[in-house]
Amino acid sequence: MNTKHLRTLTIVLALSLLASCAPRAATPTAEPNGASSPANLILGAYTTPREAYGELIPLFAAQWKDKAGQEVTFEESYLGSGAQSRAIVEGFEADVAALSLDGDIRKIADAGLITHDWHTPPYNGMVSTSIVSFAVRKGNPENIHDWADLAKPGLKILTPDPKTSGGAQWNILALYGAALRGQVEGIPAGDEAAAIEFLKSVLTNVIALDKGARESITNFETGNGDVAITYENEILVGQEAGQDYELIIPKSTILIENPVAVVDEYVDQHGTREVAEAFVRFLFSKEAQEIFAKHGLRSLDAEVVEATRAQYPPVTDLFTIGDQFGGWAEAGPKFFGDTGIYSRAITQVQAP
Amino acid sequence: MTTAAPTLTSRKTTRPAPWGRWALKSAAFSYLAVLLVIPLIVIFRDGLSEGVGGLWQAISLPIAWSALKLTLWTSAVMAVINAVMGTMTAYVLVRYTFPGKSVLNAVVDLPLAIPTLVTGVMLVLLYGPQSLIGGWFQDQFGWGIIFARPGIVLALLFINYPFVVRAVQPVLENFERDAEEAAATLGAGSLTIFWRVTLPALWLPIASGALLSFARAIGEFGSIVIVSGNLPLRTQTAAVYLLGEVESANRQGASAMSIVMLSLAFGLVLFVDWLRQRGQQEPAP
Amino acid sequence: MSALPPDSAKARGASARPGRISGPLDIWRRRLMVGIVILYAAVLIVAPIVGLLAGALADGVGAIVSALSQPDVLAAFKLTVYIALVTVAIHGVFGTILAWVLVRYRFRGRWLVNGLIDLPFAVSPVVVGYMLLLLFGRSGMLAPLLDVFHIKVAFAVPGMILATLFVTLPFLPREVIPVLSAFGLEQEQAAATLGASGWQTFWRVTFPALRWGFIYGIILVFARALGEFGAVLVIGGGIQGRTETVTLFIFRALDERQYVGAYSSALALGLLSLLLVVGTDLLRKRVKRE
Repeated sequence: MNTKHLRTLTIVLALSLLASCAPRAATPTAEPNGASSPANLILGAYTTPREAYGELIPLFAAQWKDKAGQEVTFEESYLGSGAQSRAIVEGFEADVAALSLDGDIRKIADAGLITHDWHTPPYNGMVSTSIVSFAVRKGNPENIHDWADLAKPGLKILTPDPKTSGGAQWNILALYGAALRGQVEGIPAGDEAAAIEFLKSVLTNVIALDKGARESITNFETGNGDVAITYENEILVGQEAGQDYELIIPKSTILIENPVAVVDEYVDQHGTREVAEAFVRFLFSKEAQEIFAKHGLRSLDAEVVEATRAQYPPVTDLFTIGDQFGGWAEAGPKFFGDTGIYSRAITQVQAP
Repeated sequence: MTTAAPTLTSRKTTRPAPWGRWALKSAAFSYLAVLLVIPLIVIFRDGLSEGVGGLWQAISLPIAWSALKLTLWTSAVMAVINAVMGTMTAYVLVRYTFPGKSVLNAVVDLPLAIPTLVTGVMLVLLYGPQSLIGGWFQDQFGWGIIFARPGIVLALLFINYPFVVRAVQPVLENFERDAEEAAATLGAGSLTIFWRVTLPALWLPIASGALLSFARAIGEFGSIVIVSGNLPLRTQTAAVYLLGEVESANRQGASAMSIVMLSLAFGLVLFVDWLRQRGQQEPAP
Repeated sequence: MSALPPDSAKARGASARPGRISGPLDIWRRRLMVGIVILYAAVLIVAPIVGLLAGALADGVGAIVSALSQPDVLAAFKLTVYIALVTVAIHGVFGTILAWVLVRYRFRGRWLVNGLIDLPFAVSPVVVGYMLLLLFGRSGMLAPLLDVFHIKVAFAVPGMILATLFVTLPFLPREVIPVLSAFGLEQEQAAATLGASGWQTFWRVTFPALRWGFIYGIILVFARALGEFGAVLVIGGGIQGRTETVTLFIFRALDERQYVGAYSSALALGLLSLLLVVGTDLLRKRVKRE
């Protein structure tokens, strides 16, 4: 055996060694979880509650260890709500889906991956709420106080892309709803045509459509735009991280309700149903709700709401998608389908 | 060196025994099939599932069409600028000596080593509205660099810098200067010499380099997604549009755009290959 | 036939021939040209890199080191390098075979194979990811097959490896083919008459001549694999701890406002690729000189 053979052999050996210690995430086992074997839970969430889950996960893991004696590790993915929903349908084996809007969970159910009704007590399947609001530069130089101000010519607006971002869809519905309810200066209540015109005038001012709410606000932070339409949650988290933009809450806005659901198909495949359901139950607990409130999300727990009233002032005219639009089943196609109100508006507006 | 005693029966060919040849050929072709051909077939089948009419319908949607136009336009602008500056760079590297020449030589190769995502990050850092340069441009002229079309062209120029330079350089190096000197003795000025004598010999490498950078630019994603702003009908390129379609599970739109981009890429690659082959066949001037 | 900048090393090694003595106008013209080119390169290429350095160093070198030692970053680097190594191994073997078949054998449709080899160079990474999703996604063509064997491709590392294999395919053949074409058959035939088998001929006679083309091709594959982004984003999903490469980590870090982490990783990645490419090149020049 000469040096050349030796060299080949060494290379092959080295490669196989490397291959054997290749990074492998904890492979999900198909056996039912014993109290001893560790569990791996995969969370697919939208972009905004990153920080909240950052705190919730270790807390739950510690509690679960005490209660059930089992180690649980988490893998997390944060994408725009629509993108995440699509990923799960395409094969991303999330055990728990925590998305921005109910419609996106429904898409997963429609694909047969969720087989139970997630609209259960205590909060009808919703784990947190927020409201659509505006982020403006320090000192509010453009004087933005309500929806009508967004139509000011020359104003530069950031909002994410409804194609992939749940937050973006909430934004559009909030705008439209406020207009329809007569809460926007100059727009008569119930006037759909006028509302569409108003939508177009605001869309004219949009300078970038980012993939998700988080991308949109970080874009805003790089100096782009005069105002960003986004979840109140995003703005609060950003402020927490040291950003100096200001939060403006319009008079009338929509209640953003965020659902969470166990993905039946995958938890059964992975054998993680018990942990997953426990995790979801945990999210409804007062403790978790307090943590959500800490990270910019409005809680659903009545006590927590009372306690955080100062931080989360009530909105003058708060409406829900159920009241105003008949729920996501109706609103989704009506606005964001191929010939939806938004889809047509954005095309008409952006024509160069 | 060999273990067998040399024999007098010579092999007719150096090639492995017929079964060996078959094995190698099938290995090579399966490799290509698995990695390239099958995915391509799958996507063509998917996009054409509604026929060419269906494909046309999906691609002629204003947003899709506009993304395509923007992509072609910015790539073409970049290719032209790249052709000029790339040729100049090659010329300077081959014909002149100057301080920092080896540095310039190395700099030309840098874009090849830098991941495109990193390129996007760098450009936003340097030219974004909060930066010194970007902010100044914004204030003085009202021009945006990032999140506007110039940013796209800038990113594409960065990434494709090496291609014209490295295509022209070897040809220029091997270029016989007799014709140039002859022209000089006949009284032609430097500019005329360059224009009439040197440049015509270079058009092939310039064209193939520029076309190659054009082809690459059409598919560029990593830098553009960071730099462009993604506004439909304004700053959304084909690749970013495609990502949106994929992420919102619009299969028809995604497959249609993919087919168009793939066809363009393949056509251009074949053309560039043909040009290069011609270049190798043409006798040196 | 190469779609790559042909033999960059050779191009780079050329020295300028002294120009003819020219008048003052020519000297100024020359200075102007050099100046323009240098300005262009400085503004286009160097400035952004300096900007990145500045961004990464914003909080000092210590911050860079601690950012790079975060478990997330280390895991991302591990995964990226692993994928790159597997890619190199596969292309090393099959790419060479492909090059051999292309050069040494006759067959119809050679132009097509040539074009196919160059194609990944111009295909958008998003298209690559999407094609793989169509094949291996839950509703993909091969989904039933994968189910039977319990193999996960989409949103898992195998899918990312396939994507990376696609985009790096041209690099090895493109470096090896010119060398192989130039390498005459005589030595191989001589070996054959001495009784060497096909394999022995290849390994002892041909391959050593290909060595540098092969190595350079491998390095290019590796460097390109390190930087892959669009395709692995679409097929892998960027799941933290499972399918997050360094590029995907940078993308996420920007979202999480971990700017120093993002810039440091970007810098590390860029430096790594750069060192590989430039280093191999220098080595090759040195060996050629001996």
